[in-house]
Amino acid sequence: MDKSSTLLVHYDKGTPAVAKEIKEALEGNDVEAKVDAMKKAVMLLLNGETIPQLFITIIRYVLPSEDHTIQKLLLLYLELIEKTDSKGKVLPEMILICQNLRNNLMHPNEYIRGVTLRFLCRLKETEIVEPLTPSVLQNLEHRHPFVRRNAILAVMSIYKLPNGEQLFVDAPEMIEKALSTEQDPSAKRNAFLMLFTCAEERAVNYLLSNVDKVSDWNESLQMVVLELIRSVCKTKPAEKGKYIKIIISLLSATSSAVIYECAGTLVSLSSAPTAIRAAANTYCQLLLSQSDNNVKLILLDRLSELKSSHRDIMVELIIDVLRVLSSPNLDIRRKTLDIALDLITHHNINEVVQMLKKEVVKTQSGELEKNGEYRQMLIQAIHACAVKFPEVASTVVHLLMDFLGDSNVASALDVISFVREIIETNPKLRVSIITRLLDTFYQIRAGKVCPCALWIIGEYCLSLSEVENGISTIKQCLGELPFYSVSEESEPTETSKKIQPTSSAMVSSRKPVILADGTYATQSAASETTFSTPTVVQGALTSGNLRALLLTGDFFLGAVVACTLTKLVLRLEEVQSSKTEVNKTVTQALLIMVSMLQLGQSPASPHPIDNDSYERIVLCIKLLCHRNDEMKKIWLESCRQSFVKMISEKQLREMDELKAKTQTTHAQPDDLIDFFHLKSRKGMSQLELEDQVQDDLKRATGEFTKDENDANKLNRILQLTGFSDPVYAEAYVTVHHYDIALEVTVINRTKETLQNLCLELATMGDLKLVERPQNYSLAPAKSMQIKANIKVSSTETGVIFGNIVYETSNVMERNVVVLNDIHIDIMDYISPAVCSDVAFRTMWAEFEWENKVAVNTKIENEREFLDHIIKSTNMKCLTGPSELEGECGFLAANLYAKSVFGEDALVNVSIEKQTDGALSGYIRIRSKTQGIALSLGDKITLKQKGSS
Amino acid sequence: MFSSSCISTIISSRFRPEASAILLAVIVILHLCFSILLLEPVKQIKMVVLAASIVGKSGKVLVSRQYVDMSRIRIEGLLAAFPKLVGMGKQHTYIETENVRYVYQPIEVLFLLLVTTKQSNILEDLDTLRMLSKLVPEYSMSLDEEGINRAAFELIFAFDEVISLGHKESVTVAQVKQYCEMESHEEKLHKLVMQSKINDTKDVMKRKANEIDKSKIEKTRGDKGGLSSMSSLSSGFNDMSISHGRGSSFGSGSMLGMMSDVEPISTKAKDRSRSSVTAPPKSSGMKLGKSGKNQLMESLKAEGEHIIEDVKPTCQTRAAVAPPTDPFTLTVEEKLNVALRRDGGISSFDMQGTLSLQILNQDDGFVQVQIETGGNPEILFKTHPNINRELFNSESILGLKRPDQPFPTGQGGDGVGLLRWRMQRADESMVPLTINCWPSVSGNETYVSIEYEASSMFDLTNVIISVPLPALRDAPMVKQCDGDWRYDSRSSVLEWSILLIDNSNRSGSMEFVVPPVDSSVFFPISVQFAATSTYSGLKVTGMIPLRGGGGATPRFVQRTQLIAQDYQVV
Repeated sequence: MDKSSTLLVHYDKGTPAVAKEIKEALEGNDVEAKVDAMKKAVMLLLNGETIPQLFITIIRYVLPSEDHTIQKLLLLYLELIEKTDSKGKVLPEMILICQNLRNNLMHPNEYIRGVTLRFLCRLKETEIVEPLTPSVLQNLEHRHPFVRRNAILAVMSIYKLPNGEQLFVDAPEMIEKALSTEQDPSAKRNAFLMLFTCAEERAVNYLLSNVDKVSDWNESLQMVVLELIRSVCKTKPAEKGKYIKIIISLLSATSSAVIYECAGTLVSLSSAPTAIRAAANTYCQLLLSQSDNNVKLILLDRLSELKSSHRDIMVELIIDVLRVLSSPNLDIRRKTLDIALDLITHHNINEVVQMLKKEVVKTQSGELEKNGEYRQMLIQAIHACAVKFPEVASTVVHLLMDFLGDSNVASALDVISFVREIIETNPKLRVSIITRLLDTFYQIRAGKVCPCALWIIGEYCLSLSEVENGISTIKQCLGELPFYSVSEESEPTETSKKIQPTSSAMVSSRKPVILADGTYATQSAASETTFSTPTVVQGALTSGNLRALLLTGDFFLGAVVACTLTKLVLRLEEVQSSKTEVNKTVTQALLIMVSMLQLGQSPASPHPIDNDSYERIVLCIKLLCHRNDEMKKIWLESCRQSFVKMISEKQLREMDELKAKTQTTHAQPDDLIDFFHLKSRKGMSQLELEDQVQDDLKRATGEFTKDENDANKLNRILQLTGFSDPVYAEAYVTVHHYDIALEVTVINRTKETLQNLCLELATMGDLKLVERPQNYSLAPAKSMQIKANIKVSSTETGVIFGNIVYETSNVMERNVVVLNDIHIDIMDYISPAVCSDVAFRTMWAEFEWENKVAVNTKIENEREFLDHIIKSTNMKCLTGPSELEGECGFLAANLYAKSVFGEDALVNVSIEKQTDGALSGYIRIRSKTQGIALSLGDKITLKQKGSS
Repeated sequence: MFSSSCISTIISSRFRPEASAILLAVIVILHLCFSILLLEPVKQIKMVVLAASIVGKSGKVLVSRQYVDMSRIRIEGLLAAFPKLVGMGKQHTYIETENVRYVYQPIEVLFLLLVTTKQSNILEDLDTLRMLSKLVPEYSMSLDEEGINRAAFELIFAFDEVISLGHKESVTVAQVKQYCEMESHEEKLHKLVMQSKINDTKDVMKRKANEIDKSKIEKTRGDKGGLSSMSSLSSGFNDMSISHGRGSSFGSGSMLGMMSDVEPISTKAKDRSRSSVTAPPKSSGMKLGKSGKNQLMESLKAEGEHIIEDVKPTCQTRAAVAPPTDPFTLTVEEKLNVALRRDGGISSFDMQGTLSLQILNQDDGFVQVQIETGGNPEILFKTHPNINRELFNSESILGLKRPDQPFPTGQGGDGVGLLRWRMQRADESMVPLTINCWPSVSGNETYVSIEYEASSMFDLTNVIISVPLPALRDAPMVKQCDGDWRYDSRSSVLEWSILLIDNSNRSGSMEFVVPPVDSSVFFPISVQFAATSTYSGLKVTGMIPLRGGGGATPRFVQRTQLIAQDYQVV
């Protein structure tokens, strides 16, 4: 374990403090200057410059000072200074400070006593503490609570030191006595804490003899009581019964912190349903009573932990949990919905859905800014409910369809895709949904929602009346033909005028984006309008929504309209007996398509029709002119089939996920079996949970290191010098989260003693050396280990350069051996992560740094290449496997990873197979910082070549 | 251990002896390792704040104070990672990573943050954070990097007051400010007392200097012997000696008197209360030297001046005395004023004893005290006028004449005197300590051998025998001594101290050598001691409650002591 650090202060290197100046100021009589000099000395010390001669100056001139600030700074200085030599022995000069400390402990000023006692808490050297113990004990009875408080803590810390029990044989006894007479709440708490850590039985005794008063105790003391209970129950589970009563009584404490802690304790001690219920109830109450968002979020975390371990109990509380939705914070709402969704059962589904519906309705009335997003979340939640329990779909679908015309495109889009799924999976609802959709179609204002709605109309209008209704609805929405006439030119609808400047602006700022399917495209203007800014037509309803959208230049919509009409006409042919009616409709449809083409080519349109849409419309025209059975089959059946396939695949995937989830909760083969007739295991304490708590602190302070197998360790050894160099060195590099530890083995291969041997390191990139190198001497043919720590502050490839410098006895000048560079691999810092498509694309648009790497590889299979990239960059492929299937000669995929510092790394791979079999294309890396983009690019370039 | 020794014996029978020794060592070490592993790990407390820090938006660590052991690289790493984790537009202010939780609060361009464990109690942490955020503007002039840098240490001190060992302290901003200012009433008082002491000593010094000057003048004027100059000196000192209530007329003796006068007060104070709480212990006297400005005191001390700095004005002592916890305190005290002749025999003997009662609570005033005397016929008891004398004479019970009146109560003072007694005649066997001093001149040196003999009636503690010497610069050569000795060059007194005289050392001796001098120089020898048994042997056997007493005897504390007030060999 490294030396622990107790404080950090920013040190401005711009104004270097000179040891001499400090010394002079310290020797002087000016208090101000002395304080300043002391501060500087502490800062220098923090910065690694231990000026040893300063110590004596401080002993001589600072120790006797009467000024309080100086005394406090002196204590900080003493806290930081190295008190032991390399062998762990206390330096002899430290005895000098003992007298001063003792005087401080007897100082008439109670605060000086207090801070000195506090300093003793941080002292680790038994030899220094030992002579001070009597004075510490005297302070236990000081009149001022400030002194007593700290004295108790000091006793505790000293008692905890190795051999501390011998220094204070009767410390627990004394503290117990002090506790019984103590009135100051803080001192009382400290005393109880001391007993708890050093003599648990005494603490338990005290607690048990004061059971009745526990509820009147101070909040901080109650916290320690809970802590004690947890600890005792862990070691002696049999005695749990004694304490449950205390916990229950504390559940009604006044302090919410205590209540929170109580609930946590209850959960950790018992898995009896009543206990869990009480805890969960408490959490729910806190959720409602606490206004702080942080608290709410963490409480929700606790609830979701409870949910995973005791789902059956949490199910009962689902309505209580859902009450939290009243909070305006989106994160809280999202978490709440997440928890609630997992708790839905047949029994409560109706209630839950009702509640959600109510919330949805509320979002309509309120004019809060985040309403749209919240509504989207609710809709998604309802969607999920409906998928799980199809019987509720009927009750919600109509309500949701009211939101098709929502100005929030995302929520409208969610609704329509929800409708699309329900209509397929729930055939009973088909008729009512279609009728409803046709009724409300005119309200749909968003250019992204329309195509989907149209598709549903095209696919699911089956009966004659529905088909006719569908065609007429579309016609209505398109309005009067033609879209464009010369006469209209003077007033080509206000909307198009309005849109004009914005879309041109878009065109000018056009930049490559990632499409939803992962392809990387320089967008056409048409897709831009449908994509980046959701076009919402605010114009008059009379003109019809489709018409308005078309006039803004959304020709993709035109193509969809054409396809829908074709489908409807083809179906009409099947259900309508009268040929004349059919023909009449065909002509009408053809007229519409032709006028759309005309609009696309006219100057009235903001931009000309794109080729894709043009071709599709032309295809529809051709088809309607020459109808045949084969085409009909493709249009009317295959289309639906592929959709069904997509839906079923999605369901399958969900099932798989669910299976994977449930698999983990299955009983282990070595689990205990509960016999009905015997005492139930429920209510036994969960020791694992407690162990987790224990680890928590260790992990947080970085004490926790996993055991790595040695073979792995050997793989990471780097040779730093040649075998024939006078000094051989090799390094073993361990990369922890935020630091790199170098363990360098240095071997003297000469026959002379090397003196002042020093490992000098320099770094490039975002690396920083933590300590200054030290000098060693190395006997002939001896080896030694030198450790160096390097701090990393961002994900970036770094290089560490180094020299080994030494002197020999006969040659006066210093010899230098240059070491191999050590490259720190970025891969150690990034780990695969998942994010949603939308998030990926927004980040892609936001991030400033892009690194474009041309594909240059000998791999000939696209999939194989992608897998290679994924493997070598340690990233996660966001594009689903089904979308990557098939041999089409090109491939596009998105990869994502996160660094330990929380930075995002985005990668897009777009490759195409050339006719000669080679792969070509680009890999684009985007990130917020330059470092990641650059080093990841380097890595990919390297690996591409390396694979060949 | 049994198994290992078995193994080792088996091994040793097969291998060479040195190999087996090594093996044995290895096994022992292994055992040690196991026993270390089996030791219960030190308990870790869960609810802790790991660190409280202020960082800039860019991640520059301005101030950080850690409350648990963690390596520097670790805390720097944690703090460096923080700004990257802070997202914009979030409505909550905590971040959880795999290992820790950050709870933070933006302060203008800075972040104030707590690093806690993930299991930490968020409600408490937020409270702590709120507290700290109130403190930061109190100590930092401007809430930017520069301002924080300037106030870095003050902030660390303030943070320390809010969090101790990772636990939240329940304090208010005002309290923290008060704690950091460190204005102590007690310290001020202490300084005042110190100052007055210095002034006193200065006065004494001045007077003495005058005296010395005078005596010098006298010396030069006439051809008088050393002794007469001494007596003239002593006459000059008379006024001072009287003020100390002392019959001594010797210069150095008066100096001695001054200190011995002070000491009983302090011992009395110690007896009466838990002195460790109130009176600062003696070692704080060392503190004086640190004041720096008090060069005078420093030099006085260096010259051997005995300065007692920890004595407080009596009113102060009384105020500071922790209230006695026992309802009744009875004090039996006997004071001895004895003059022994140097060639044996008693010149004068006077013992005065008192019994005083101190009652804590008003309600307990209706009591009577049952006593028992040792039956020494030499001793005459005298009761307080308000005491019912008949009752005392017949039943040895001390009660008020008017039983419907309570005894005076209260914590202050020494309580109420109930009984006094005197003993004025005594033969030599009754004296607790006799001293024999034999100065003998041989050549140009004087050998002085002193021996004491203690009566078996008393066990004496803290015995100090002070022998005046001719003015010497160096300490006399002590040939032999039972106990400790000390030479005070300023007042030319050799102090022979024996901590305890009991049956093991009823007699003892000391021998020292000084330059030739008249033997009368060594007198008067004054002695101080204390004992816990008394001449009268008076004991309180019980308290009789007069009202509402259900027969149970109330709890009381009895203190008995014999003090040598003025005990000299002339």
